[in-house]
Amino acid sequence: MRDVSSSLKNPSIIRRSLRRTILFVLFILVLGSTFEPYNQAQLAVVLIYFIAVLSVTILTGISGQISLGQGALMAVGGYSTALLMTNYQLSLWLAVPASIVGAGIAGALLGIAAARLSGPYLAGTTLVIALAIPTIANRFMSVFKGDEGLSVDVGYPPAWFTKAFGEPTYEAWQLYVVLPFAAIALFFASNLLLSRTGRMWRSIRDHETAAALTGVNFSRQKIYAFIVASIFAGLSGALYGLRGLVGPSVYPVALSLTLLTAAVLGGIRSIAGAFIGTVIVVFLPDWIDLVLKNFKLSEQVSNFMPALISSLLLILTVVINPAGVAGARHRKH
Amino acid sequence: MDTFLAALFSGTSRGAIYALVALGLVIVWRGAGVVNFAQMGQAMFSTYIASALIQNGNSYWVGFFVALFAGSILGALLDILIMRPLSNKKKTELLSSESMRAAVPVIASLGILGALQALAGIIWAAEERGFPAPAPQEGFSVASSIMPFTSFDLFVISIVAATLVMTTLFFKRTGVGLAMRATALNQEVARLSGIRTNFTRALSWAISGAASSLAGLLITPTSNLSPNTLDLVLIIGFTAAVVGGLDSPAGAVLGGFILGLVISFVTFYLSPEDVFISILGVLLVVLIVKPRGILGGKDARRV
Repeated sequence: MRDVSSSLKNPSIIRRSLRRTILFVLFILVLGSTFEPYNQAQLAVVLIYFIAVLSVTILTGISGQISLGQGALMAVGGYSTALLMTNYQLSLWLAVPASIVGAGIAGALLGIAAARLSGPYLAGTTLVIALAIPTIANRFMSVFKGDEGLSVDVGYPPAWFTKAFGEPTYEAWQLYVVLPFAAIALFFASNLLLSRTGRMWRSIRDHETAAALTGVNFSRQKIYAFIVASIFAGLSGALYGLRGLVGPSVYPVALSLTLLTAAVLGGIRSIAGAFIGTVIVVFLPDWIDLVLKNFKLSEQVSNFMPALISSLLLILTVVINPAGVAGARHRKH
Repeated sequence: MDTFLAALFSGTSRGAIYALVALGLVIVWRGAGVVNFAQMGQAMFSTYIASALIQNGNSYWVGFFVALFAGSILGALLDILIMRPLSNKKKTELLSSESMRAAVPVIASLGILGALQALAGIIWAAEERGFPAPAPQEGFSVASSIMPFTSFDLFVISIVAATLVMTTLFFKRTGVGLAMRATALNQEVARLSGIRTNFTRALSWAISGAASSLAGLLITPTSNLSPNTLDLVLIIGFTAAVVGGLDSPAGAVLGGFILGLVISFVTFYLSPEDVFISILGVLLVVLIVKPRGILGGKDARRV
C-alpha cells in the first residue's frame, strides 16, 4: 500500500526515470567499448529496435491497441529524415527531431481511424498499412526514388569529438549517435509508464467502459497513445535509415512483425521486457550460428536452421510463459 | 470492353481463392478465437507435399487429395500441440485483457509460420518451382477471338463454389456444425451443454487447414511455389475477412470477392503499384462506416 501511495505523489517519478536512464547509458557505453566493431553495430541495431519496441509496449502493452504496422511509421520517420538531409542538407541532429513531428502527424491520422477499431480489426488495418505505406515510394519515384531508395548515413564524428575521445570506428560512431536518442526515448517511456497518463491508458486497456465510467475519455486517450507510439516508431525508423539506406526494402512487413515478436517475447508490459526481447531478437541468429558452426550441415540445412530454431524457441516461450521473459515477476499493474 | 471483361474474370477467379483463405481464417477465429497467421504456411506445406507426390509420378488428383488431408491433419495437430496449451493459460492475469488474448496467439502463429517455412526450405530447398494445373491455362476461343477466361479459372470458381456450399450445409445442417457454431458463440455455455469444445476447436483448425490447402493448390499454378510465395495471399485473405466481418463466414466470402475485384481492376486500369494503397483505402472506408466489417455483428460493450 505504501508503495502505491508514494508512486502517486510524483516528484520521485522523474528521479526514478532519470536513474534508470543513466544506468542504461552507462551499461551500453561499457558494453559497447568491450565489443568488436560487428557487435557494436549490432548493439546500435538493438538500441534502434528498442525504441520501436517501446512504441509497441506503449501502444499494445499499455493502451491495449494491437498494431502490426509500426514498421510503416518507422518508414515515415526514415523517409522524412532522408528527405530533409538530402534535399535541405540538414544535419542529422536537426533532421531526426524534425522527422519525429512528421511521424506524429501520421500517427494522429491513423489514430483517429484506429480509435474506432478493436482487436483483430485493428490488427488487420495496421497490417495493411505496413504493406501499403512503403509502396508509396514506387508511386512517387521522383521524390522517393522507388526501390533504389535514398542513401543517408551517420557521417563522421565532428572535430571536437575526435579531439576529446579519439577516433571511433564507424560502427562505434553509429552506436554513439543512436545512444542519446535511445536514452531520451527510455526516459520518456519510463516517465509515461509511471505517470497518471500511464495509469489512465492501462485502465482503457483493461476495461474501456469501466474507464469511461471513471471519467476517462477513452477515444481521445487512445488517439494520444497512438501519437506517442508513432513518435517512438518514427524516431526508431529515422535512426534505422541512417544505417545507410532508406527504401521500401528497409521497412518490410516482416519488420513490424519482428517488433511485436520482440515485445511479446520480452514481456509486453514493461520497459525491461522491451529491452530483453529486443536483445533476443537481434542477437539470437548470431548465437544460433555460433552453436551451429560446431556441426557439419549441408548448405540447404544450415541456411534454414537458424530460422527454424528461433521460430521453435518463440513458440516454446509463448506457450510456457505468455507473459514474456520479464513478465513473470510483474504483479503491480 | 476487353479490358473490362479480363479484369472481371481474373478478379472473380482470384477473388474465389481469397474467399477461401478468408473463410479459413474466419472458421479458426470463430472456433478458437485465434487469428491464424500460420494458415498459408500450412497451405504452403501441404502444397509442397502434393508437388513432391506429383513429381514422383503420382497423378494430380492423388497429390490434390493427399494435400487436403495433410492440411487438415496439420491444422488439428497445431491446435492440439500448441494452441490448446496456450489457451489453457488464459486465466493468467496477462491474458485477461482482450488485446493480449488477441496478441499472444498471433505471436505463436507467427512462430509456427516461421518454423513451417524453414522446415519447407530444409526439406524442399528454397528455389521457386512450378505447380501443375489440372486444366489448361489458355483462354477459351470464341468466334476466333480469345476470351480472357481459361478453363482453369472455371475449375477454380466451380470448386470454390462447391466448397462454400458444402461448408454452409455443414454448419447449418449437421449436429457437429451446430456444436461448432455454439462453441463460437460462447465456449463456456457450449461446454456446459455437453459439447466437447476441445474437439470442435481441433475440428475448426482441421477444416480451415483443408480450406487453405485448397487455396494453396489453386493459387500456385499461377504464382509458383516457394516457402514464402503465399505470405501475401494470407495478408490479402486476412484483409478480406476484416472487410467482410471476421464473425461472419458469408462476410469472408464477400470480402474475398471484393478484394479480388479491387486488385484486378486496379491492376488493369491503374498500375500494379497502386494495389496496396487501394486495398488500404477500401479497408479504411469500410471500417470507418462499419468498424466490424460489412456483415460483422454490432459493436456491443459489456460492463
